[in-house]
Amino acid sequence: MTIRNALRDHGQRYRPRMACLKKAEKVLLEMQDPCTGVKSQPQRLVITIIPHAITGEDIIAWLADRFQIDAQEARSFGSMLVALGYIYPLQDHKRLVIKPDASLYRFQTPYFWPTQQWPVEDTDYAIYLAKRNIRKKGILELHEQEQYNHLHKWMNHKWDFVVMQAKEQYRAAKERKKPDRVVFDCQERAYWVVHRPPPGTVSAMDYGLDRRTDPNTDETQTPDYYERIMIFTQQSIMRPRVKSSVSIGALVKYSATYSGHDPFLSKCLPSNPWLTDDTTYWTLNMSNVEIPTKMRVERWTFSFKELLSDPRGRDDFRLFLKKEFSGENLAFWEGCEDLKWGTAVAMREKAEQIYKTFLARGAPRWINIDGKTMEITVKGLKHPHRYVLDAAQTHIYMLMKKDSYGRYLKSPVFKETLKKAICPEEHKFNEVQLEQNARNRRPSLSPIIIRQQEQEQRAKMAANAPVDITQLCRFTTPVPHLAVYTGIPDPPSVTASPSLPFLAHTPVCPSPISVALDSTSASERRMEASDGEGNTEVRAPEGGNLSKSRMALSLRRLLKRGCSPSTMFASLSPKCHTAATTSSRIQPITPDEASQAPPRRIGNFFQIKVDIPPECRIYPIESEDEDEENRPASRDAVGTEEIICPWESLTRQNGTG
Amino acid sequence: MGKEECKTMLDALNKVTACYRHLVIALGSTSDSQNLREELKKTRKKAQELAVANRTKLTTLLKDKTISKEDRAEYERLWVLFSSSMELLEVDMKRSLEIGQDFPLKVPTRHLIQTGMTGSTNVVAARAMSVQNMKYEADSNIDTADLRDLQTEITQVSQMMEEMEMKVQVAPWAVVAKQEAGAELKSNMSVGNSSVGVISICEEEPKDDEGGGGREGGSGSIGAVVVFFVIVAVALVLGYLVVNM
Repeated sequence: MTIRNALRDHGQRYRPRMACLKKAEKVLLEMQDPCTGVKSQPQRLVITIIPHAITGEDIIAWLADRFQIDAQEARSFGSMLVALGYIYPLQDHKRLVIKPDASLYRFQTPYFWPTQQWPVEDTDYAIYLAKRNIRKKGILELHEQEQYNHLHKWMNHKWDFVVMQAKEQYRAAKERKKPDRVVFDCQERAYWVVHRPPPGTVSAMDYGLDRRTDPNTDETQTPDYYERIMIFTQQSIMRPRVKSSVSIGALVKYSATYSGHDPFLSKCLPSNPWLTDDTTYWTLNMSNVEIPTKMRVERWTFSFKELLSDPRGRDDFRLFLKKEFSGENLAFWEGCEDLKWGTAVAMREKAEQIYKTFLARGAPRWINIDGKTMEITVKGLKHPHRYVLDAAQTHIYMLMKKDSYGRYLKSPVFKETLKKAICPEEHKFNEVQLEQNARNRRPSLSPIIIRQQEQEQRAKMAANAPVDITQLCRFTTPVPHLAVYTGIPDPPSVTASPSLPFLAHTPVCPSPISVALDSTSASERRMEASDGEGNTEVRAPEGGNLSKSRMALSLRRLLKRGCSPSTMFASLSPKCHTAATTSSRIQPITPDEASQAPPRRIGNFFQIKVDIPPECRIYPIESEDEDEENRPASRDAVGTEEIICPWESLTRQNGTG
Repeated sequence: MGKEECKTMLDALNKVTACYRHLVIALGSTSDSQNLREELKKTRKKAQELAVANRTKLTTLLKDKTISKEDRAEYERLWVLFSSSMELLEVDMKRSLEIGQDFPLKVPTRHLIQTGMTGSTNVVAARAMSVQNMKYEADSNIDTADLRDLQTEITQVSQMMEEMEMKVQVAPWAVVAKQEAGAELKSNMSVGNSSVGVISICEEEPKDDEGGGGREGGSGSIGAVVVFFVIVAVALVLGYLVVNM
């Protein structure tokens, strides 16, 4: 085509390339052949006889014969032609399928064939609706009425034209003979059924978003074009290579694992909603369903990614982690995801929250990441961006994957879920039932509503969150100041409740490096801890003595029990500020902060400093006044009020120490 | 005055555009023929003449800085009508070129799509040309010659539209339409008998078309009621006569 629409088309509406259209046109032309084409018959209406009607079974038979395929495939091919709009049904014009019986169809005129070159104009649709309005004397169908009102509103400036043109076209159409008028009306209606499908109709031209560039144009060979080719080839040379045995092996493994779960390749239980219009499959597999299906649970065993990406699987895993008292890992991971995918406005605040909850020393849900990662993260948090927690998130992800995931798959939680999982029976619908299902198609819940429900659920979970009790980290050496924090409402995702009442907390499983650092400055700490914590009520020495004895007691109990010290800790914590440690160094902590002022920030409870001068701030991204508020009593005599940020101090320490 | 002239010319252009569309729809189908191609050509020529006339008139009117605000608004409305007509015309011309090339007439075996339309379109063309009967005097190479002409005409039209946009500064979205929603129903469109018949036929085809069925049912029931009353009246008269006898 030499003359294209591109001159006037200033919008970028190039569609995904539909190569099937040209091929379908060829098939259509072959069907027209009087000798070898589809046999046509006249359609008898009350008074008139209109020629060139073809039956569904004839079409299917011809397709099967021409392409040497079986009847089922011919039927799908025929349905495709109808869905694209090359053939339209005369009865039941809204269902764009081929029925393998004597129901009648007709070919569409080339002007109304689907093309990508000529975008479907709303002006034309408005004219069509106006014409239909005239013919039907104001009684349009519901979706047509809605479209009419909508077009009238936004195309108001052209409405005079629309009305004039509609009247003229109507009068011009009246000039023709009756059979031709009928045919023309049916053609136009069929065209608009394909391009503006009524609710519940599936038209094949409903393909989604348009592409930015026209795939059909030839690209001009500018220097820029060649430069892009060069860059691409250079990058291809530098790409790391994998042996084909490895990559093919991975492909084979993937195909073998997933082939049973692919709805194209194997049966979808109970039935594929796209084929049978029955939505049981979707309701059974919703994200908040109580009892998952067996197939779904099987998918969780394939990889950790599968488990996490399925909301129900994630819930199950969270439950397991709660029982194992390592829920903070998953919570941190989810918080990082939230940060990555959330809005830019809330990013800074979210990053701050996450740091306070998970990363800061003494955080309520401290996660165990190595010092290097921690350093990188803290440095990045100075200027938080979307991916600032990526390193830490990856670390935690690998930790969960290598450690918790394996235990989860052997855990009673998982086994229970697996036992309860249901395996729905396959539906066997006959034709009548299928038609009924098609008629009863209803739109599902809007995604906006679903998102709102999810948010409400999250808020609810945050509001009455269970106590998150951590335990000794099995894999780190005993550290001087292991703390337990109890009574902390623990939101499943960090962003849910901005103001978390923080109680006493110190890290449970501090990283090895901080442990090392701790030990070097333990004396310093003890000094800090023992002398006047201005903001604590219970005096340290007394508490210390008391706590010492209690510590020993609890320690013995802990060593006996090994793994679930929850009850013991719970009994201990409200009364006194003890920390379960395995060493003799006892650091009195001040959970009584909680009693005085529950919604205190984390800074209050930082009695245990690792290596940073006492005056220094805890969070890299805090404001000045908060610092004032959090440091009512200065630590010791050094007393310079210089605010040093943790990451700066860390680097200093690491440089020197 | 200027406005009335403009309006009549625009109406004429509108009519021609509508008829041209009808003709292009018939292209490539079994109602395609030599005559159709010729009709298309003639309609096109007429459309272009009208377009040029309209354009000059409107451009002069709009370039006039001394007109009042209401006048200007009115002219802008007419301008929007004109440019929309031209857009439609241009697209139809391009499509007729494309379809004309895909469905040549002078080949030994021509496969025209069996759309069910078999009648001729000369009445539509006659309406467009505002004549009683169409006269056909085309030569046999209507296909190729016509298409070449068509290409040149399309480029002319495109150029004209580009010029129009450059010269006249009209914001089409600022125009307020005079017709409100549903204005097409208020016209003096008398739905004659033939069209009623056609409507009922077309509704017969789809069995689940509610609108047509409803209307048919209504008229049928009214007829039945009338017949009933007639019979009752006749029965009463007869009964009276019987009783009196």
